[in-house]
Amino acid sequence: MLWPVGLWRMWWRLWAAGLPAESLGHRRVASGVSLPGSTSPRALNIFDRDLKRKQKNWAARQPEPVKFDYLKEEVGSRIADRVCDIARDFSLALDLGCGRGYIAQHLSKETIGKLFQADIAENALKNSLETEIPTVSVLADEEFLPFRENTFDLVVSSLSLHWVNDLPRALEQIHYVLKPDGVFIGAMFGGDTLYELRCSLQLAETEREGGFSPHISPFTAINDLGHLLGRAGFNTLTVDTDEIQVNYPGMFELMEDLQGMGESNCSWNRKALLHRDTMLAAAAVYREMYRNEDGSIPATYQIYYMIGWKYHESQARPAERGSATMSFGELGKINTLISEGKKSQ
Amino acid sequence: MSANRAVWGRVRSRLRAFPEQLAACGGQAAAYGRCVQASTAPGGSLSKDLCAREFKALRSCFVAAAKKTLDGG
Repeated sequence: MLWPVGLWRMWWRLWAAGLPAESLGHRRVASGVSLPGSTSPRALNIFDRDLKRKQKNWAARQPEPVKFDYLKEEVGSRIADRVCDIARDFSLALDLGCGRGYIAQHLSKETIGKLFQADIAENALKNSLETEIPTVSVLADEEFLPFRENTFDLVVSSLSLHWVNDLPRALEQIHYVLKPDGVFIGAMFGGDTLYELRCSLQLAETEREGGFSPHISPFTAINDLGHLLGRAGFNTLTVDTDEIQVNYPGMFELMEDLQGMGESNCSWNRKALLHRDTMLAAAAVYREMYRNEDGSIPATYQIYYMIGWKYHESQARPAERGSATMSFGELGKINTLISEGKKSQ
Repeated sequence: MSANRAVWGRVRSRLRAFPEQLAACGGQAAAYGRCVQASTAPGGSLSKDLCAREFKALRSCFVAAAKKTLDGG
C-alpha cells in the first residue's frame, strides 16, 4: 500500500509548487500594482506594512528605547505646542501612529478629555510613556481606521504617515472620523530628509557597483501635501516646514540610530543586501562631502507640519463675489479710513 | 530561528566595530571621498571603479585595522 501514498505525496508537491503565491495567503505584490479588491485604482503598494510592523515591534523591544527617541520626542513636543495654540478643549482625541506616545506626555487632561492611541506595533503600545490623560490603546493601521464617522474632535499624527501606502486614502479616513469643526494636526518627514545619506549611498554604489538602488524611502513633496489635504476635504489648511539637523560621529552610527527608531527601509523595491565595501565607501564619501568642522557628520530631517479643519458652518468662509464695500485702490488712504471709522463709532 | 539570531548577532557585532576601524584610516577615506566628490563637479562623470585605486588603499587599511582589533580585542 506504499505506492499510492508515494504518488499522492508527489502530486501534492507538484500542486503546491505550481500554485501562485497570492492564493497561498502571501502578499507578494510587486510595487506599483494594486491589490485585487482595493477600493481606489490609484492605490500603490510601495511599503511592506508587515515588515514595518515587525521593525517597529523590534525597535520598541530594545533594552534602551530612550536612546533613539530624541527625534520623535522633539517632534511630539512641537505638535503638542500646536495643539495648545488652539484655544479649545478636545473631549475625544486620536493619536495615529503614536509609537510610545510622545505627544500625550506634553498635554494636560484639561486640554484632552480622552485619548485613543493607535499604532500597528503592539510592543510600542505596551511600553507607552506616562501621561495624565486617560488613554485607550488600539492596534490599528493608519489606512484602515476602525472608528465611526464623526467621532473625534482632534486627530494628531507624528512621524508615521510617511510609511503609509495610500496617503490620500489615509487622509480621507482621518477626515471621515473627525467631527465637523474637528482638527487634524500632523507631522511627517519631507523631501529633503536624509539627503546626505541618500547622496552618499548613491555615489558610493555607483562607483563600487556600477548602478544604485533606492535605500531611502520616497517622501512627499510639500506642494503635493497641500493638494492631498484639500482633496481629502480639509479646510483652512496650514502647512509649514521645519528642519532638524542632528550630528552623528559617523554614517554607521546614523544607520544604527535609524534602525533603533524603527525607521529602517521597508519598501518592496529595496535591495536586500548592502555590501560591506559599499557601506565603507559611502561612509568615506559622507564624511568627505558633508562633515562639520568638528569632524561629526550632519543628518537633516525635514519635517512638514500640517493642520487641517473639517468643515463646519461656524468656520470663516470666503465672502461672496460682489460683496466688497471698499476697493483696493483706496488702500493708500487706509489710515484716514480707519480713523474715520473709529470717530463714527 | 535561533540560528538566524546567532548569525544576525555576529554580523551586528562585526558591524559595530566598523566606526573604530574607519577612524584609523582617515587619510585613505578622505582621499577616496575627494576622488568621488571631484567626479560630481560639473563636467565630471561617475562610473564604476573610477576611484578603484583609492578604494583599494582604503580597504586594505580597513582590513589591517580589523585584524588589529581582532588580535588585540
